[in-house]
Amino acid sequence: MRNAERLCLAHFCVAFAAFLGAAMLGAWQMWVRSPLGANIGTPGQYFMSVTAHGVAMAYVLSTFFIMGFGYFVAVTALGRPLPGKVWAWAAFWMAVLGVVMALVPILLGQASVLFTFYPPLTASPWFYIGLVLVVAGSWVWCVLMLVAMRAWKRENPGQPVPLAMFGTVANAVMWLWTTVGVAVELVFQVIPASFGLVQTVDAGLARTLFSWTLHAIVYFWLIPAYIAFYTMVPRAAGGRLYSDTMGRVTFILFLIYSLPVGMHHLMMDPQHGNGWKFIQVLLTAFVTVPTLLTIFTISASLEIAGRLRGGRGLFGWIAALPWERPTVLAAGLAFVMLGFGGFGGLINMGYGMNAMVHNTSWVTAHFHLIFGGSVVIMYFAIAYEVWPRLAGREHPSPAPLRLQLWLWFLGMMVMTLPWHWLGLQGQWRRVANFNYADPIIAGWGPLVVVSLGGGLVLLASALLFVRNLAVLHRSPVPTLQRPLYALAVHPPQRVPAALNGFGLWNVLVLILMLLAYGYPLAQFVIAPSPAAMVHRVN
Amino acid sequence: MAQSSDSEPHALDRPWRIWASAAVLTIVLSGVLLGVLIIPVVQGRSAGIDAYTAICRALGILPGSPARRQVLDRTPPTPVSQVVWTPDVLQILADARPERGRAKVQEVCFTCHGEQGVSVAPEFPHLAGQSGAAIYKQLHDYRTGSRTHQQMTEIAKALDEATLADVAAYYAAQPKRNPNPAALAEAPPAIVRLVELGDPNRNIPPCAACHRPGSGGPIETPILAEQGQEYIVRQLQMYASGERRNDVYGRMRTIASRLTPAEIDGLAAYYRAGFR
Repeated sequence: MRNAERLCLAHFCVAFAAFLGAAMLGAWQMWVRSPLGANIGTPGQYFMSVTAHGVAMAYVLSTFFIMGFGYFVAVTALGRPLPGKVWAWAAFWMAVLGVVMALVPILLGQASVLFTFYPPLTASPWFYIGLVLVVAGSWVWCVLMLVAMRAWKRENPGQPVPLAMFGTVANAVMWLWTTVGVAVELVFQVIPASFGLVQTVDAGLARTLFSWTLHAIVYFWLIPAYIAFYTMVPRAAGGRLYSDTMGRVTFILFLIYSLPVGMHHLMMDPQHGNGWKFIQVLLTAFVTVPTLLTIFTISASLEIAGRLRGGRGLFGWIAALPWERPTVLAAGLAFVMLGFGGFGGLINMGYGMNAMVHNTSWVTAHFHLIFGGSVVIMYFAIAYEVWPRLAGREHPSPAPLRLQLWLWFLGMMVMTLPWHWLGLQGQWRRVANFNYADPIIAGWGPLVVVSLGGGLVLLASALLFVRNLAVLHRSPVPTLQRPLYALAVHPPQRVPAALNGFGLWNVLVLILMLLAYGYPLAQFVIAPSPAAMVHRVN
Repeated sequence: MAQSSDSEPHALDRPWRIWASAAVLTIVLSGVLLGVLIIPVVQGRSAGIDAYTAICRALGILPGSPARRQVLDRTPPTPVSQVVWTPDVLQILADARPERGRAKVQEVCFTCHGEQGVSVAPEFPHLAGQSGAAIYKQLHDYRTGSRTHQQMTEIAKALDEATLADVAAYYAAQPKRNPNPAALAEAPPAIVRLVELGDPNRNIPPCAACHRPGSGGPIETPILAEQGQEYIVRQLQMYASGERRNDVYGRMRTIASRLTPAEIDGLAAYYRAGFR
């Protein structure tokens, strides 16, 4: 096995190890909040578990997976060795050290502040420093992605950067912008407070800085799924990508519209004027554009594949698609979950409607369906496509792969649809237990049990996923040489510089961020609000 | 050849630069126009707010929503405690030094609370390992009359702010004894349940929600582990009867009045044993 392959596998192994542990914790959390397991465990244990679940899923699984996938794309799409392998390994070990540093205080009960921190709560400083190391590792990855693309452009002047790499670099650029908010919050507010250097934290400022990160981070997790939609799914279906340009525009729109929109997470917060909230909500509405572009382009690409396979009529091409192939199946299931999750997100985005579902299970359902559902099922699909190429072995049978994907889809739908409904009924989130003796809460019981059933199916799927990869490693079948990335119907010969790099878009992001976050952040300096007492949980 | 193919994308690029910038700026400026000007002014008109005020509120320069009149509460506050946790007070606590507190303890406090914070009689609380903020708050309350005690009121009035903090820091730094494993095994399940989960049917929150260090209670929450049983029983009875009333928002008066005498005894025994 070559060095670059070992690098990718090392990242994937850390990502999915964290995923498996977090899936088990998730199932336990659902059990203790259901009528079946009511009052097992203490609230302290519950919040420790939620913190570990969130950190493992949102920071460890996503970051390590995206880094590993990025290195893989840089080598395979650009067809040249990865620059700075030593740096890549150093970043990997730094991030692993960061995970350990964060995990130990969590398990000691010294960091039960959830993955979104919630200052003025402050945990052990090692928790935050560990997470800063994970982010710093990902910054090295961002720089390596930019260096790889620049070197390729130098060697291939005037040529369009392959779409998979263009999407990866768009994600890296976005991540550099994204992490500024949380990095400033941690370094200048939360870590000094956790060391006891300051006694108060301006919670409004901290929440505003975190909102800078909070929405774009979701697109950081999402973009690998979109890269797979554009570059892997049409090939797996046996067709071509309908439009390469549409892919480039999608990734660019994600870059510019994912950042100046985070204030829609603060609609109930009093520290900002409604005008700023309106501007950011309007910009949020434009985030739907790249998603709708993608649904159109990928549906068109799949239609090409379906018709090439003999599909006829208005919908006949859908039945003609090779659904037995895990990548195609995963994309179809991801689209269904993206549909439900996306419409739920439109509710969250509206000021008035958000007020009704704010801090209820609706929100939990929404982000589990989008990230846990659409995105993670595509992580599985990518792993199933990429892992054989890294390990040099082929899956002995696709049947357990398909079963695993179906279980994940069914589990996620069964878990999150009742949560949506319970959220509309007012079931609050971020609580350790429910009093089922209360007649109103007792009425929620049956739906909570149904969603627990979904959670257990998800756990079974997570175990099956790891089992499928373990079987792959012992498989006697050598890997088949087959192309991974789809060609476009009209492969681009030359593209404008705007669609081949990020200079223009960085300028626009800067302007948008200054307009959307300039005064809302400056007001904390112009007229400081009363700061909140630091509240230590360690 | 390389040069021409390199310059071509830049020629192709010009309309992209212009149109992309124009589109993005149009979107954001229409957001500004709608969100900061039109909607606040229109909504403000129906709420009887002039255009200038409505725009300032939308920008967050003036408080209040553009759509609603603000009702001011003019009821004078009647706080049960005069302690205000300002950054200055928190800094005094952070700067407190146990060494300085020791002298005052050896001079005054040790006669009842012991030099190591282990009290000499059951009616006095143990202070070893107690939260510094909790000791400070009680001393301050004695000083201002929010809590009264024959001796403590006079003693606290004689101490200045910094000395209160030093004494608090001294006792906070004294080690607790180890939990008693024998007593730990004896805790009845109903009491453990009350501590860990409370009783939602009687609106009693779990004791551990505040009284476990780091759990999320107010800063002045005392640590109850290893506290004297008689002292805890007496305080809960005083809260229940309203005789003691320096608990902010009446939290402890509400909770204690809902506990049965047997539960008060059980909880006091639980915490005496060193549970956290």
